[in-house]
Amino acid sequence: MTAARTQSRFHTILLMGGGLLVTIYVLAPFSWLVLTSFMRENDVLSVPPKIGWDSFTISNYLTFIHASGIEAVVGSRAAENTLPGIFNSLVAATATAALNVVLGTLAGYSFARLRFPGRMPLLLLYLGSRMVPGIALIVPLYLTIRTFHLLDNLAALAITYLTLTLPFTIWLMKNYFQGIARSLEEAALVDGCTWAQILWKILIPVAAPGLAATAIFAFMTAWNDYLFAVILTTTMAAKTAPVVVAGFVTDVTTARTLMATGGVLAVLPPLLLALMCQRMIVQGLTSGGVKG
Amino acid sequence: MKASTAAQYRTPGPLDTAAGSFPGTRRRTRISRHSAQFAYLLNAPSILVIVLLVGYPICYSVWVSLHRYDLRRPRIFRFVWLQNYIDVLIDPDFWTALRITVLFTLIAVVVIVSVGLAVALLLNRQFPGRGFVRTVILIPWAIPPVVNGLMWQWIYDPKIGALNALLRWLGIIDHYQGWLAVPTYALGGLIVAHTWNEFALAVILFLGALQRVPAELYDAGRVDGCRSWQLFLHITLPWLAQALLIVLILETMLAVRAFDIIYVLTAGGPGTSTTTLTWATYLTTFENLDFGHGSAYAYIVTLITLGLSVIYFRILYGRGEFEA
Repeated sequence: MTAARTQSRFHTILLMGGGLLVTIYVLAPFSWLVLTSFMRENDVLSVPPKIGWDSFTISNYLTFIHASGIEAVVGSRAAENTLPGIFNSLVAATATAALNVVLGTLAGYSFARLRFPGRMPLLLLYLGSRMVPGIALIVPLYLTIRTFHLLDNLAALAITYLTLTLPFTIWLMKNYFQGIARSLEEAALVDGCTWAQILWKILIPVAAPGLAATAIFAFMTAWNDYLFAVILTTTMAAKTAPVVVAGFVTDVTTARTLMATGGVLAVLPPLLLALMCQRMIVQGLTSGGVKG
Repeated sequence: MKASTAAQYRTPGPLDTAAGSFPGTRRRTRISRHSAQFAYLLNAPSILVIVLLVGYPICYSVWVSLHRYDLRRPRIFRFVWLQNYIDVLIDPDFWTALRITVLFTLIAVVVIVSVGLAVALLLNRQFPGRGFVRTVILIPWAIPPVVNGLMWQWIYDPKIGALNALLRWLGIIDHYQGWLAVPTYALGGLIVAHTWNEFALAVILFLGALQRVPAELYDAGRVDGCRSWQLFLHITLPWLAQALLIVLILETMLAVRAFDIIYVLTAGGPGTSTTTLTWATYLTTFENLDFGHGSAYAYIVTLITLGLSVIYFRILYGRGEFEA
């Protein structure tokens, strides 16, 4: 008995050691970025870097709010654009998520509940369309969008993001609806409900966690995109956060601390979303994407 | 409609006993015409999106790839058959890029799958602090590749980077190195950055599948006297097969398409040491403004990813895992 207990304690310590390693692997690079964003440029540039309470500052963050403010640092002009960029990203990503939920629910429902000719080819068409790399789509998309004078337009950007997100959304929603028992719908059908009532009052409430998960995925994908945004936007009317941040990073003159701060700001919205909706994301991915 | 009504009132024949054993078969055929129209109505907006935003661009890029179309000589738009493809395929740069793509994808996928699986197995066990680690895992997943690139660029910095400071402190190197200036290190650094960003997705998918392994299987295995590595080999691994395939598909596609991270971190260099096919497509199209050859490149990348996904789908389908 005691032997077994010491062994299990040894196991626990081993597992905790593994957990610690994973935590360091994940947190070390990211915390270095966060730490840099709270340091003064001179302290960052000295070898070894000065890390301590006296070098802690929030002036980098203030520069983003008020560019010409307290300390004029190299790159503060670019910094000015970060918050508007984040706002643009929020608009585009939210619109993408909303469009995905609507289109994905309708198509997902049809695959889960209806038998129709061409069902399988259509599903493969959706999934296959996601296999085409964005780099192959972007030139014709650019030319088309330019013809319609929709460059620099957040709505157009959000619609092009559907090519990245819609196939996966339809697949997830199909699996979600298929996982819901038909008995409720059959009862509702006997009571004379229309399909719209069934979808709206029975299926959507039951599938709400799945819908939320697909919305979050679409939001994340749209937020992360750089390729489409950099080519389809040219001014701050529609430039998204990754485009602004990439603009800084490739400019060697930009202050290191400002780069780090811009990076942290651009990560903040998706990071908060991921941490707040942790349970939903994990459940949505595992129950919709993979069957056990 | 009329035909099926007539069929319902037909005198029972010998075939009807067979049909009768599948209740509802006849009713389904009756409503199928309606449900077909209805299904396509529901799919109309999605089909429109896919046809306009994926179908049309693909056809357009095939068309352009068969032409000489160089924005530096914009007046020439001449049909050249497969000349662009031949040019690309006899260009040694293409084969270098293909080799680098294969190397990058292969190493990245192997690392992601093994690290992801190890972490998922760890997080599937009970230990104090597990909930915290499960939350922390989501951080890399939430970071956009552009910011990830910025973060690693800062870590690899030749003069003041954290990696140099760490390795010097550990006594592994004598003097600071420009990690991204050496071809092998640059590709390695790119792979480290990419895998850090993408391994979390693998963990989430593996963990979800692990949590569904029925406990009875392990109990039965233990009763039969299996050791823990045997339980892993004969119960856990087969159970993970589908999740493994999904992870393989997703991560292969992500690696072949990696663009943002290359753009921020190495820009394909030094030399051509991190120029993957995706990056070569970008260079040809947007740096050289050679849309003809760029489209040929893009289409070759498309064919490679489509080919890979067909292979993956066949495996899933063959195993009966792909349910429509």
